[in-house]
Amino acid sequence: MNLLNFKDSQELFKKYNIIIKDTDIFNDKESVLKFAKKIGFPVILKVFSDKIVHKTEKGAVITNINDVNELADVYDSLDKKFKDKEGMMVQKQFDGREVVVGMAHDNTFGPIVMFGLGGIFVEILKDVSFRVCPLNKKDALEMIKEIKSFEVLTNFRGKKKVNLNKLAELLLNLSKLALKEKEVVSIDFNPVFLNEKEINIADFRIIIKKNA
Amino acid sequence: MLNYIFNPKTIAFIGASEEPKTVGSGIALNLLQSKKKIFFVNIKSKKIFKRKTYKSILDIKEKVDLAIIAVPCAVVNKVATECALKKVKGVIVISAGFSENNNKERENELKEILKDIPLVGPNCLGILNTKNNLNASFAPFIPKKGNIAFLSQSGAIIDSVIDIARTENYGFSKIVSFGNEAGLDLSDYLDYLSKDKETKVIAIYIEGIKDGRKFLEVASKVSKIKPIIVLKSGKTELGKSAALTHTGSLAGDSKIYSSVFKQAGVIEVDSIEELLLTAKTFSFNEPCLNGVGIVTNGGGFGVLAVDYFDALKIKVPKLNEGKNPFDVLGDALADRYEIVMEAMLRQKDIHCLLVIQGLQIMTEPEKTARIIVKLQKKYGKPIIASFVGGESFKKAVSIVEKNKIVNITEIKKAVKVIRYLTYEK
Repeated sequence: MNLLNFKDSQELFKKYNIIIKDTDIFNDKESVLKFAKKIGFPVILKVFSDKIVHKTEKGAVITNINDVNELADVYDSLDKKFKDKEGMMVQKQFDGREVVVGMAHDNTFGPIVMFGLGGIFVEILKDVSFRVCPLNKKDALEMIKEIKSFEVLTNFRGKKKVNLNKLAELLLNLSKLALKEKEVVSIDFNPVFLNEKEINIADFRIIIKKNA
Repeated sequence: MLNYIFNPKTIAFIGASEEPKTVGSGIALNLLQSKKKIFFVNIKSKKIFKRKTYKSILDIKEKVDLAIIAVPCAVVNKVATECALKKVKGVIVISAGFSENNNKERENELKEILKDIPLVGPNCLGILNTKNNLNASFAPFIPKKGNIAFLSQSGAIIDSVIDIARTENYGFSKIVSFGNEAGLDLSDYLDYLSKDKETKVIAIYIEGIKDGRKFLEVASKVSKIKPIIVLKSGKTELGKSAALTHTGSLAGDSKIYSSVFKQAGVIEVDSIEELLLTAKTFSFNEPCLNGVGIVTNGGGFGVLAVDYFDALKIKVPKLNEGKNPFDVLGDALADRYEIVMEAMLRQKDIHCLLVIQGLQIMTEPEKTARIIVKLQKKYGKPIIASFVGGESFKKAVSIVEKNKIVNITEIKKAVKVIRYLTYEK
């Protein structure tokens, strides 16, 4: 396995108009605090390392940090606990409904993209849909509506319908990336937060070929 | 380029035999039924079915369009080399013992020998073309003429399908057992059939697709011209490294194939029965938009139908004059069916009818059947009949079926077929 680091991942995404908003990585506490003040609280702090695959399970992610003092404390404890890392990732605490978007390679059909809802929908129910790249906008919207739990994304329990165009855009951009970047084996955007206005990628994982 | 496979003027069969119950004699007898010029080649025999035989295809003086090879796998490539020297325009290799038997090398060699000649197989049953009565296979007989083309990775399924269709009212244009696809692959046949005047609908049985991206591209184009119906068995494989992400591990089942079919506009069914029933329906009807009218003489049938349609997201639009489903009631004579059916067929958002009839004392099955036939001709919209019963409806069923209207006794199956017939704008 080869996990691509934060900086290279961000560079790669940028080429395909996939923007990881209000998120950055640092190696010192001062910069972390400064960036948090800039984007506004609450924030989350994550240890970014190609050695840690399951960040949440390892306790490498702390969410809902409400002010500078709390952030400083969290920083110190994580910094002590995880020595081997690329850096500390600060990110705005996004809200909205959680979805999962990804890409992989199929032996028969080549690059494919996947879509599903986050949490138990993807983990337990495996309620996901696929399309082979390249996708057009119609394919993207069809695959979004194909999942059984699609209604969760519509006017559901008093929440407004999410911005499906932004979601379709992400699928299309990912399809372009998948076709061009031959050394990328697979990508997960998990979770991605969607609300009626915007889309925010909260976490990502890129696996690249061993020798790339 | 495939024309010489399906419409050869001269055929050489290498591996012909007289011995009963062998592939060699089966194909030889099938070929003799066509009006083509046939040459038998067998290294040992002097005469087969009283015809002169040749020791090698190279001994034949005339030009040969199509060569069929059914010799032991160890000598296939030698024989194929002679076919290439003879400059034949198409080859069918029936013999097994290639990549399916872990003999990839032998298959690659065959591919190389015939690289400029269209090749069907190896490891297949052969091909059939009903138009010119050509049975270049060891299928037991040639089916009725019709407009369904059938492509199958399994030869055994072809044999069964031909037999099932024997007592049916639909027929076939071409049948291909494509085997290992060393030369021509599924997409090549699809491309050919999309331009074939005899073919209206393409039915496929596959276990796997060789060139996935080519299939997606070709099938997407062809499905816009003719309906493609597929029955797929088996699962897909994914690279191990990809299983490290969710996307990778979740993709490791038949979901990818189903997604590809959707993307390509291919209709996926889940049984041989459904494959044939759907092909038959498309053979008789044009695809229609979403919106069905239901006429029934029993409330229960109507409720069942609506439940099934609802689960498959098929619209049951309100009638301008009355309810949908419309219950003509148990005492309905055929004239009541006629009035309601006509009202439905005239309505713009109803694109297809399901006409259900159960047996009640007053029921007039044959009269109703004739009305269905008459109105289908008048309005051109697809009508599926569902005479729910047995012996009492035999005549009615044969009236509609003779007039190319599909009767499906089980309402659930009828609904599913209407779902397949429906496309969204």
